Amino acid sequence: MAEKGSGSILQFAPFQSSVDEGFWHRLSSLKLNKLGIDDSPIPITGFYAPCSYSQVSNYLTVITESLPSNSDEQSSMAAISHGSRNRCSVPGILYNTNTLESFHAIDKLSLLKEEAKKIWEDIHSGKAVDDSRLLSRFLLISFADLKKWSFRYWFAFPALVLDPPATLVDLRPASKWFSLQEAESVSAACNEWRNSSLTAGIFLRSDLCLILLFFFFFVSLFKAKPKPYKSAADVPFFLVSIASDSQATIRHLKDWEACQGDGQKNKNVRLTSQYAYELLFGFYDPCHLQNNPGWSLRNYLALIFSRWNIKSVCFLCYKENRGYADMGLSLVGEALITVPQGWKENQCVPDAVGWELNNKGRKVSRSIILAKSMDPTMLAVSAA
Amino acid sequence: MVLSQKLHEAFKGTVERITGPRTVSAFREKGVLSVSEFILAGDNLVSKCPTWSWESGEPSKRKSYLPPEKQFLITRNVPCLRRAASIEEEYESAGGEILVDNEDNDGWLATHGKPKDKCEEDDNLPSMESLEISKKSTVVSISNHFGGEDEEDIPDMEGYDEPECLIETDPATLQSTYLVAHEPDDDNILRTRTYDVSITYDKYYQTPRVWLTGYDESRMLLQPEHVLEDVSQDHARKTVRLACPVYLMIPCDFLNFLVTIEDHPHLPGKHASIHPCRHGAVMKKIIDVLVSRGVEPEVDKYLFLFLKFVASVIPTIEYDYTMDFDLGSSSS
Repeated sequence: MAEKGSGSILQFAPFQSSVDEGFWHRLSSLKLNKLGIDDSPIPITGFYAPCSYSQVSNYLTVITESLPSNSDEQSSMAAISHGSRNRCSVPGILYNTNTLESFHAIDKLSLLKEEAKKIWEDIHSGKAVDDSRLLSRFLLISFADLKKWSFRYWFAFPALVLDPPATLVDLRPASKWFSLQEAESVSAACNEWRNSSLTAGIFLRSDLCLILLFFFFFVSLFKAKPKPYKSAADVPFFLVSIASDSQATIRHLKDWEACQGDGQKNKNVRLTSQYAYELLFGFYDPCHLQNNPGWSLRNYLALIFSRWNIKSVCFLCYKENRGYADMGLSLVGEALITVPQGWKENQCVPDAVGWELNNKGRKVSRSIILAKSMDPTMLAVSAA
Repeated sequence: MVLSQKLHEAFKGTVERITGPRTVSAFREKGVLSVSEFILAGDNLVSKCPTWSWESGEPSKRKSYLPPEKQFLITRNVPCLRRAASIEEEYESAGGEILVDNEDNDGWLATHGKPKDKCEEDDNLPSMESLEISKKSTVVSISNHFGGEDEEDIPDMEGYDEPECLIETDPATLQSTYLVAHEPDDDNILRTRTYDVSITYDKYYQTPRVWLTGYDESRMLLQPEHVLEDVSQDHARKTVRLACPVYLMIPCDFLNFLVTIEDHPHLPGKHASIHPCRHGAVMKKIIDVLVSRGVEPEVDKYLFLFLKFVASVIPTIEYDYTMDFDLGSSSS
């Protein structure tokens, strides 16, 4: 077996951002009609999906619905628009400043550190196991110049730094890692996981949906702890367990302990034989590259190591081709983690990196001018 | 904006306001869709091609005749590796179109471009059969998203003083040079764009309507005029051709596609759109061909057929419309 980059540092392909025009439109109207000069941070939602074409990566996208709406009446609609198989929601935070000076004056390193601390705490409290989207928290700082309709912004995707970095033992297309039977089984299980919400939506008429919605609402009232997910399609981190008969099952991260029953007894087998592992840590990989896993794996590794003390991690970078699991594009890898300094003490938050490069490949902010689609006078001129 | 188009828009708007949505099916007779048929076809598209999904769009722009969570269909981040114009040039250099083939279909301009190897290897084209369509000027850019001002493109502000350039040193971060999309050729010119393709229901024409939002390789918004480079068009007095299977051969008259830049009915901003004025007629023709071949067209397949012919207008945008059609393969 050829081992790619054996023992080399595991390098992650950074997440990339994309902003829909609608996001800036709503931010402007929020600023004009509601926020005024209030510059306190706003919780926002970003969306991404696994890579679905072999040539391009998927982006973390913010759209109109990423921002809270102007009026509060649409809050019920927000629930519908959030989360689908093509839109896995990720919590983010927006710092919109009032002046360009204050935009530049933002202490970017400490802001990033602050977000990384939240991730770190969610890992230790177990919240990130229940709701894995918390691992991909992101940060957006912006300055909206509503006189010129120009927007300056900068995304950060905080990642906890493993020091020393994890090393890569092996990384290859999933189709070459799995046996044919296993690959088919993993594909089928992943497709089922990814489509779990769709079936409900298709066969229900809208009035039935409403009734069901009420039903679930009442059920959730009586439950002590409401389930964080209605469906699995937008849960980006999961476990893939493969039984000895090559049958794959996808499980929620919460079920890790339950998986241990099967996993533990085969631990020795996994180390000696190439194909006899039991448990893979899967995640939706937005990156299209074949030699590097995507950014999301970073905090995932931190979680796997801190929570379950696993030093040798088998991971599955889940990717799709036109909406279906593709084992040729998906990657399976094995990473070794050396105990990072100070990770045993909870007080010490690891360093974080993650400010995005701009479109010229430099670590500076981006900007966009939308005067022609937003400036009322220009609109009037073009309509005349 | 051209005056005639403005007048038409005003007229269309008024008609849309005072008339109710279509409720009686005229799919077979006119190639158009009622609202419920649009939903049905959309649901089928979403279930067969999961990269497509329903969205609700801007709350203020919501159409009351459509369910709130099913206002329009969208597929995001679709790669477009090359410009349509370059495909046309390749086709041209590979022999181009030959003759009018009208054995039994009078008025049909069905030419099968010489299947040169170069073309055959090109799996980016939706299909091998090619058809010459029209020599008329087919693309009209009507209004301009970024106005008539002589301002330059969206600036990237490189000249702008950035007081600080963060330096993060981290051996585990993959360096940015590897992040660009995989290009089909090895030259260093970046041409990979990505598109958000959306389908709305046009109440006036009673057909679906396709909208394009383009992004450059760093996912910065493209001006709609640049989007036109990815629409197969009559750039340099060249013929527009349609790459589509035999059973979808369409008479040239029907393919005077207009590409306009207009307000999106559910999203903010101006977007390029294939004008739907001919869609009903084209779909009717396609349905007629299917019927003549003994295939019973089903209305829930409407969007697959529709997207298949739209693929000929935007040949390099690789959105998903794949479906196993048995249609016409066994007959004739």
